[in-house]
Amino acid sequence: MIRVVKSITAGVTAAWLLAAPGLAQDPLPTVASLNVCTDQLAMALAAPGQLKSVSALARDPMLSPMHEQANAYSVNRGLAEEVFTLKPDVIVTGTFSLHNTTSLLERLDFRVEPFGYTQTLDTIPNDIRRMGQLMGRTQHAEQMAQQFEARLAALKPLKCKRKPVAIAWGQRGVALGSGTLAHSVITAAGFDNLAATSGHDGMAPFPLELLVTNPPDLIILPHAMPGAPALADEALRHPVLKRLPGTVTASFSRAALWSCGAPFTLDAVDELRQMASRLKPCQPEPGS
Amino acid sequence: MSRTTLIGGLAMLALVLMIASLLSGPAGLGPMTSLRALVAGGDEAAMLIMHEIRLPRALLAALVGFSLGVSGAALQGFLRNPLAEPGIIGVSASAALGAVLMFYTGVAGASLLALPAGALAGAAVCVAVLMAIAAARASTITLILAGVALSSLAAALTSLILNLSPNPFAAYEIIFWLLGSLKDRTMDHVWLALPVMALGWACLWASTRALDALTLGEEGAAGLGISMARTRWLIIGGVALSVGAATAVTGAIGFIGLIVPHLIRPLTDRLPGNLLLPSGLGGAALLTAADIAARSAIAERELNVGVVTALIGAPFFLWLVVRSRREVF
Repeated sequence: MIRVVKSITAGVTAAWLLAAPGLAQDPLPTVASLNVCTDQLAMALAAPGQLKSVSALARDPMLSPMHEQANAYSVNRGLAEEVFTLKPDVIVTGTFSLHNTTSLLERLDFRVEPFGYTQTLDTIPNDIRRMGQLMGRTQHAEQMAQQFEARLAALKPLKCKRKPVAIAWGQRGVALGSGTLAHSVITAAGFDNLAATSGHDGMAPFPLELLVTNPPDLIILPHAMPGAPALADEALRHPVLKRLPGTVTASFSRAALWSCGAPFTLDAVDELRQMASRLKPCQPEPGS
Repeated sequence: MSRTTLIGGLAMLALVLMIASLLSGPAGLGPMTSLRALVAGGDEAAMLIMHEIRLPRALLAALVGFSLGVSGAALQGFLRNPLAEPGIIGVSASAALGAVLMFYTGVAGASLLALPAGALAGAAVCVAVLMAIAAARASTITLILAGVALSSLAAALTSLILNLSPNPFAAYEIIFWLLGSLKDRTMDHVWLALPVMALGWACLWASTRALDALTLGEEGAAGLGISMARTRWLIIGGVALSVGAATAVTGAIGFIGLIVPHLIRPLTDRLPGNLLLPSGLGGAALLTAADIAARSAIAERELNVGVVTALIGAPFFLWLVVRSRREVF
């Protein structure tokens, strides 16, 4: 009898122990994301069924590197009503967007968590951790963040005769100067950013003439939007760009690789380092 | 002033301003380096800057200015209306609408050739509508008001199309199409626009005798053997071709065609036919000067050239309105 009671107790205890992590964590908080950058982190970390909605921009291949994954989720256009009907436990969004929506949702007692705009690579791991905590996916996030940190720490200086110079020069002749995520990516990849060394801060027009007088080794051009032409894209096809001796123009394999801080942002660093092998100062000496 | 002196002087002025335009730019090349790079060669970077960046810009400013000046003079002569001007009566805005409709909807791909085709159609429709209104013996004011209506409608539709484009840069380009700019144009734009413009100038040139005869009134002109129908088609075609091609590559630039004929008319024998060439040259000079001002007014920031022409032109237009009121009433 006692044995039976013992075994029942043990069974119950075992069941309780098994269930315990579930009691603390399950069900995972449901999440809705209103910003294309929080979309990326949320999609990267979400458990099945947990992420109720991502922003409509998440499906745009020009803005969202994870646009294919986004097809699996329902999308919102940042309207309070859409989010309200989903009743998510947490709403993640950017600090720069949709203030009316988010303040309305806060008044309706939703938990709104704004994420700042990512400007440097080294803040990305903590954003991943924060998103993981909000989504109850701490372990998963910690693993992802550590992997990111390890990849970043493993970067070595480029093997070039001198530090190559790059510029991210885009539609309407706007370059990405210091204080941008692109700048952080360019410098992490081992380049000097011409826009930053010329004193440009943030996104600023960089005159075409100055690209000619002070030519960089690499001009990184953005992708033009297929099917929706704009005159702004003509800047990317200006004949001068092709006629600069010793300057290579290139684009990333995917659009928007450095528009958001996420694990894939390091792919931009890797791609830049691959581009470096085509640059003049990084060619191996003949015969050596 | 003799006609030769006037034309020679204006041509010189336009040329000097074109050289000044070629010498200004953010790269800070010396004047001698710049000119040597333009004609002789030398420093590779300087040559690239002169040939691929500054030359197309200077050429386009002169060509577009010429088109607007000639068109303004022709419209003022034909409609016998001192306020007629491609910008004010909506031809430029309609040309912009036509170009935007063709280009941004993607029907022609990203091909630049779509721009002049659309702009031509837009400009032609606008001129034809205005001519129909003018043919119904409408007063000066009716024509201008109809032009204002067409111009607002075209600008609104242009903004609408650009806002509806999924390309986020399209919305920025509303400013380009409504206020014009010569920034970072290429020789492709010159070759795209020049033949069309030249055809337009030829049409307007062919209407010289008719414009002179029209100073006697329509019946007087008919008595001299002038065909009103033919003249109308020449003016519609000429203005649509030259303003359409100009707008296709630089956006709508206003007031050049208004100011220039008025400034130059007192220096001529006041025959509208004789005003065409001097107005064209004057337009080339004025737009080139406005473009230099647009680039140098604010350090490291460029204004849209239409802002500069409107700053000069709008007060001038007001002055003309006040003056013509005094004369009419």
